[in-house]
Amino acid sequence: MSDSLHLIPPRSAYLHIPFCHRRCFYCDFVVVPLGDKANGDSGPGSNSIKSYLNILHREISLFKIDIPLSTVYIGGGTPSLLNSSQLGSLLNHLEKNFGFQLGCEITLEIDPASFEENDLEEYLAIGINRISLGGQSFDDNDLEVMGRRHRCSDLIEACGWLNKAYMQNKMLSWSLDLIQNLPGQNLVSWKKQLKQALNFSPPHISIYDLSIESGTVFEGKEKKGELNLPNEDQALEMMTFSSEMLCKEGFSRYEISNFALPGHASRHNRVYWTGAGWWGFGQGATSSPWGERFARPRTREAYKDWVENQELKGIHYSLDKSNCRPMDLDEQIMTGLRTREGVDLEELAKRAGWSQRQCDDYLPLLLLRWKSLIDRGLMKCNGKRFQLSDPEGMQISNQFLVEMLLWWDSLPKDVVLSPKIEAPL
Amino acid sequence: MTDIPVSRLRNFCIIAHIDHGKSTLADRLLQDTGTVSTRDMQEQFLDNMELERERGITIKLQAARMNYTAANGQEYVLNLIDTPGHVDFSYEVSRSLQACEGALLVVDASQGVEAQTLANVYLALENNLEIIPVLNKIDLPGSDTKRIKNEIESIIGLDTSKAITCSAKTGLGVPEILQAVVDRIPAPSDTLDQPTKALIFDSYYDPYRGVIVYFRVISGRINLADKILLMASKKSYELDDIGVMSPDQVSVKELHAGEVGYLAASIKAVADARVGDTITLLNSPANDPLPGYTEAKPMVFCGLFPTDADQYPDLRESLDKLQLSDAALKYEPETSSAMGFGFRCGFLGLLHMEIVQERLEREYDLDLIVTAPSVIYKVNMVDGEVTLIDNPATLPDPQKRDSIEEPYVRIEIYAPNEYNGTLMGLCQERRGEFVDMKYITVERVTIIYEIPLAEVVTDFFDQMKSRTKGYASMEYHIIGYRRNDLVRLDVLINSERADPLSTIVHREKAYQVGKALVEKLKELIPRQQFKIPIQASIGSRIIASESISAMRKDVLAKCYGGDISRKKKLLKKQAKGKKRMKSMGKVDVPQEAFMAVLRLNN
Repeated sequence: MSDSLHLIPPRSAYLHIPFCHRRCFYCDFVVVPLGDKANGDSGPGSNSIKSYLNILHREISLFKIDIPLSTVYIGGGTPSLLNSSQLGSLLNHLEKNFGFQLGCEITLEIDPASFEENDLEEYLAIGINRISLGGQSFDDNDLEVMGRRHRCSDLIEACGWLNKAYMQNKMLSWSLDLIQNLPGQNLVSWKKQLKQALNFSPPHISIYDLSIESGTVFEGKEKKGELNLPNEDQALEMMTFSSEMLCKEGFSRYEISNFALPGHASRHNRVYWTGAGWWGFGQGATSSPWGERFARPRTREAYKDWVENQELKGIHYSLDKSNCRPMDLDEQIMTGLRTREGVDLEELAKRAGWSQRQCDDYLPLLLLRWKSLIDRGLMKCNGKRFQLSDPEGMQISNQFLVEMLLWWDSLPKDVVLSPKIEAPL
Repeated sequence: MTDIPVSRLRNFCIIAHIDHGKSTLADRLLQDTGTVSTRDMQEQFLDNMELERERGITIKLQAARMNYTAANGQEYVLNLIDTPGHVDFSYEVSRSLQACEGALLVVDASQGVEAQTLANVYLALENNLEIIPVLNKIDLPGSDTKRIKNEIESIIGLDTSKAITCSAKTGLGVPEILQAVVDRIPAPSDTLDQPTKALIFDSYYDPYRGVIVYFRVISGRINLADKILLMASKKSYELDDIGVMSPDQVSVKELHAGEVGYLAASIKAVADARVGDTITLLNSPANDPLPGYTEAKPMVFCGLFPTDADQYPDLRESLDKLQLSDAALKYEPETSSAMGFGFRCGFLGLLHMEIVQERLEREYDLDLIVTAPSVIYKVNMVDGEVTLIDNPATLPDPQKRDSIEEPYVRIEIYAPNEYNGTLMGLCQERRGEFVDMKYITVERVTIIYEIPLAEVVTDFFDQMKSRTKGYASMEYHIIGYRRNDLVRLDVLINSERADPLSTIVHREKAYQVGKALVEKLKELIPRQQFKIPIQASIGSRIIASESISAMRKDVLAKCYGGDISRKKKLLKKQAKGKKRMKSMGKVDVPQEAFMAVLRLNN
């Protein structure tokens, strides 16, 4: 094992809660729609939730590792379909098996109209300290078009509660998700959205461009030409406006789709972009404790079978040392370039097991491919770090990545194959 | 196996239009005679190139020997010689017909006679073949045997009173066909004592044994111990193996007049044993070869360039290899400032061109740019010289040339009469000159035009099919050169002339083609990081222009843990698309753009 290959055990955990009231028209996640009246406690779908939680706990039980977590993210789906005692027992289980570091960031994704102010109090009481709110839009028409269950009034109410709790120091931070580039959207309507969002002073905002995924309602509509999407120039205007406006308000675009006030960048999400490892639990969840990503089965039955199989083997897949190797360099660059600080290519390459000689031989070839983009000022070189400019470089980032993948493809086989190494556990 | 008397040999082929069931019937004959067991039966046994199966057409012909016990209790040997079913390969068809005494004319009982069938029937009649009409697919609800019989009688003049009705799919009527082959097709003439002459009707290249030649012994005999002489190529060989196809190759010691077989003689390339050549014996050669041998003459030319310049040596090697098995393929190196190194290749026709392109990409794993097909133009120079050019980019300057001539074909189209108008419109648009229109039955017509070949090798066939819902069929042959007012239309991408997109058009159509071409290119070339002007010009005069605006947004909306693999897949797809594009100057041009001129009407 080379000296440079120091793998640090993961300090982050992702928990997937696949339940939703319904599937939104743009969504292709692993979700189980339970109907608008579903409720974790006793309502419709509660049995389904209970039996899923049982399997999820069994997966967590396979870990007994004394390396405390520094971030936990409960995502979905709609985790706020669970009641606070269900969420609390998941957190307790994690704390028992891993431990929590002091100041551990514990995020819960919630949906407007799936919780009340007292639910929020309870979430915070069980240790959740960061909330990510799936607001998506303040426009009722947009929400209708997207197939969302909540309405603008629900979102305004939820933002109010979150802002209040945050101001009262009851939580560390909160984030608002918005979707940009929706059917019929234009710069005027988007400006209104963003201003409305800023009224509630969220310290963190995620802005996602709508992407049409296969198998979704939106895809069907697009094929039929029924989705009046903004054109490339309009989309660009909106994106540029968001970047400029939020910068003026003191936000930093620390990742292509994420903006935060100082000190409010999501620590958990940074894990994905910097190449650090994370544990994962739940149906369809992805984990990557040592570099190689592993996606769990996407259906309930298959996930259950898989967990039972792990139990029979007596060892969880993620703990099997033969699955351990550093993350591929191409993926490190792909995720690293999304961040404001960009990538130190040489450092990443060495982390992936390259020698200085290999760095000297192959990295200049990548820069050569990027040259015309760099010449146009779309990438800046800051010491050893390469960063996409904001917004021009970031909004054309795929061009860098495509060149990078072509470069990766042209390298000798032994260079692109990262070495197997022993898990430092 | 070869002690069968000539009187009990029957050599025949099947003439049919695409989709009329030739391959299915061939399969059924092999099965009914026990030549291939049902267990080993792959669908369409005779078409054994992967490409042929996929397209459901026969490109390379094959042969099969069947043993059959006739009604009189005697054992017969029936040789089925398969024929390719496409206009590009009509020379090969004529050679295989020459190897037969009879033919089954298979006509779809619901569709009727098509142009291709007719062309091949005439070839068969010229070769004095006994023709047995067979109406296939009578199990289908739309079949109308009476109407089709009338059609055969009125169009071809064949007596259909003894026509056989069958369903190759269900096997109905197949025994009757086998018996009719024995009863109605004459045995080969008994010419065992004459000097040896055998006709090559097909060959293919086997990497281990060299060229395998399929032949029909016309007179005399060929023994494994003989040395053979090929009369056209004038090369002689010792035989490694001779045998029959049943349908797998089975070695024999000797084949005599009337028999059909294969031989292997360490022949290096199919060009050394061309279809139509005559095999004779080196020690006692025949005086004259069999009639009808001609060299393959390419009609359609295009440039083949590797997308990745590093693949140039691989492309050369692949073409060399491919030529071993395809004597009609011609190529020479071509260099273009825009495209780098590649080859100018000649083909029998568009299908042949597509087949070669696909085989190169599939069997040799090459990424290719194929430029739009061109014909051979005759350029009369001011100084009285005549230059032949097959590449529009090399057309001499207007000051140096006096006139340009282009090849014309006589085209015959068969279609239901309701499509007269649209078909004549099509021919007219393609600069065709009307010759004749005849009603062959009450509902079907044949339309005859003389038309520039250049107009036919574009998307003429596709247009004809789409305008007639697939009901029309066509056949054409070259009739000579005609002088026309032709000009070269150039395309400039980002202000640089794109050689491979140059095309020769009639002056009167230049503006219209130029405008459509730049519009099509705008559609086909993806947005890039800068604005790209696209112009069409004649000489230095710009006649049409468009521009592709710069791409400014290309980004993944989000990328978290579980997204990474999926998003990478998307990016890889994008990278693969980019890799398949050809970089011209600074612009990445996708493969399809080079064929844009063929797609102006879509």
